Amino acid sequence: MLNKRFMKIAAPLAVGALVLTGCGNDSGSADGTYKIAFQGPLSGENVQLGVNMENGIKLAIDEANASGDYEFKLEYFAADDMGLPDKATSAAQAALSEEVLAVVGPAFSGPADTAAEYYADEGVPAVSSSATRADLTTKGYGSFLRAVPNDSAQGAGMAKYLASEGAKSVVVVDDKTDYGVGLADVAIAELKKAGVKAQRQSTPQKTPDYSAAAKRVANTKADAMIYAGYYEDAGPFAKKLDEAGFDGIKMSGDGTNDAQFIKLAGGSADGWKLTCPCTDPNEEDATKAFAEKYEKEFKRAPGTYSAESYDVTKMIISEMAELDEINSDTLLKALKKTKYKGLTKEFSFDDKGEFRNQTVYMYEVNGKKIEYEGSIDDLTKG
Amino acid sequence: MSLNELWGYLVLGVVLGCLYAVIAIGYTLVYGVLQLLNFAHSEVFMFGGFGGVLALTAWTPVVNPSGMQSVLYVAFGMAAGAALGAAVAYGLEKVAYRPLRKHNAPRLVFLITAIGASFFLYNLAGKLFDRSSVAMPQMYSNETVFTLFDTDIKTTHLLIVFSAVAMMVGLDYVVNRTKLGSGIRAVAQDPEVASLMGVNIDKVVSRTFVIGGLLGGAAGFLFGVNSKVVYTMGFLPGITAFAAAVLGGIGNVRGAMLGGLLLGVVETMTVFFWGDDWRYVAGFAVLVLVLMFRPTGLLGERLGRTA
Repeated sequence: MLNKRFMKIAAPLAVGALVLTGCGNDSGSADGTYKIAFQGPLSGENVQLGVNMENGIKLAIDEANASGDYEFKLEYFAADDMGLPDKATSAAQAALSEEVLAVVGPAFSGPADTAAEYYADEGVPAVSSSATRADLTTKGYGSFLRAVPNDSAQGAGMAKYLASEGAKSVVVVDDKTDYGVGLADVAIAELKKAGVKAQRQSTPQKTPDYSAAAKRVANTKADAMIYAGYYEDAGPFAKKLDEAGFDGIKMSGDGTNDAQFIKLAGGSADGWKLTCPCTDPNEEDATKAFAEKYEKEFKRAPGTYSAESYDVTKMIISEMAELDEINSDTLLKALKKTKYKGLTKEFSFDDKGEFRNQTVYMYEVNGKKIEYEGSIDDLTKG
Repeated sequence: MSLNELWGYLVLGVVLGCLYAVIAIGYTLVYGVLQLLNFAHSEVFMFGGFGGVLALTAWTPVVNPSGMQSVLYVAFGMAAGAALGAAVAYGLEKVAYRPLRKHNAPRLVFLITAIGASFFLYNLAGKLFDRSSVAMPQMYSNETVFTLFDTDIKTTHLLIVFSAVAMMVGLDYVVNRTKLGSGIRAVAQDPEVASLMGVNIDKVVSRTFVIGGLLGGAAGFLFGVNSKVVYTMGFLPGITAFAAAVLGGIGNVRGAMLGGLLLGVVETMTVFFWGDDWRYVAGFAVLVLVLMFRPTGLLGERLGRTA
């Protein structure tokens, strides 16, 4: 049998290849050049969120290389997962076979859940500046660090804000993705805790026609609606909510917080409240200089998570500079203990790799712009 | 649950159903003349959406168009969508299917080619348009035109229903009353005899594809107005419209219209009663149930008696 004979030869070869690649784990490099990867959507429907982050990372790497302050050189490696869990394995393997020192990302929660295990096996630190699903840090992925408040914080922020606005009943619509369901779960739990009536509806991502789903929301006559999903679907949904005549508060999370949302929704995005664990680099004093540099380099204003990704990359670089021997293991140990003051916030992690600072910010769509309103804690104080 | 509430969903179901019906016609016409399940029709539909967006973006609509300007924009966008749809369908027939007919290829090869062409067009669009979504430029403000039993009827609803009905009536006329129509029906019934009677089969087939492409492209445009345009938009409406064509009796034009309307209403009602998770479960359950008792579909296969 040809097949059997083929297997006899192929199997040892494959095992051998695996062993060999496994050996290449120390990710050191003779000439002092290290690779930092970004895993996230660099193509596909949510590409804009990925490009926002990629640009921030590139900026940080270019600055470090140009500064001459460091004894090592850095290279950027793009691991595109299209934001999809089923593309995450190949993206992670591509990064690992390039022997990257550290990964910024994975950007989305679903792919992070898949890829974190591969990075953990190789001991490569994976620092995500945007994967916010709450349970990612409780699954024991040893090398996964989250440099962003999680969905619990975002859901809690949404609930707090709506309660302070006097909402009595809220409909939460999830998009059936890992991110959407996670965020919706937390939001509903927190709303109930705050004494607000909450009900749930699900409309799977990529539904071709949102009119019936929107009508269902409108018919509840709820005071507010939270959409837990991404801008690709929030856009058409917003249109249909308008058409169905829903007049409560409309709110969504960081997955919708992108200028593309306004484009897809036409005029219907107006007045939407968008939460985000991210600050607006164009507004805060600390990040204004960054925003200008970014705009000069990429001919556009920084987007959601651009500044955070820049910060995370700078944090990795500054920890590398402190190390006597640079490899993934030493870097991971250093990152776990870091107390890095970035432009956007201070970065430090608890023993599970969860971010210590859990501040969430509120934005509102006004005309063609997403306007920054400030942190939810400040907004709900008065 | 009140009766007025139910009526509100019925309206949405009819709007969606009209779109399905127009797409379904493309499947049914081609099946009628070639006994071919043209799976690439869903991508023809998708290209129609892009045709509309590209044309309208090139000719940037003014911010608050007057009534007349709105009509013009819509007509222009729809024409562009239909034109691109027709062009893709024409090219598809020429490049993918005609050589197979020349070689008398078996039915299965046609089917595989259809699936291959569909994948090709899908990925081509993904590449051409960066795999990202685009919104149809705003051509009119979506006001409430009138309110009937508590349900606001919006401009978009009327636009979709009126254009779809106009297309369906027009097509019905073409198929049943014109020379081209009798050619299509003749080829559908018996290609050999038709060609002996002086019908140019190649021409009829090619024109059938173009008609299907025109309708599919226009539906793509309307679909884009209703939600957004993206390279993945063809798949679900395409497969649903195909089911609609089978439901009504594949090969039967009026059957496709009926099937489309029915599936649109069933889907929307399903969302109303059980939520969006069940949308396709119920739609396709209806398909299976109907075929169990009427294997030739609701109105039977009429356009062609073969198959």
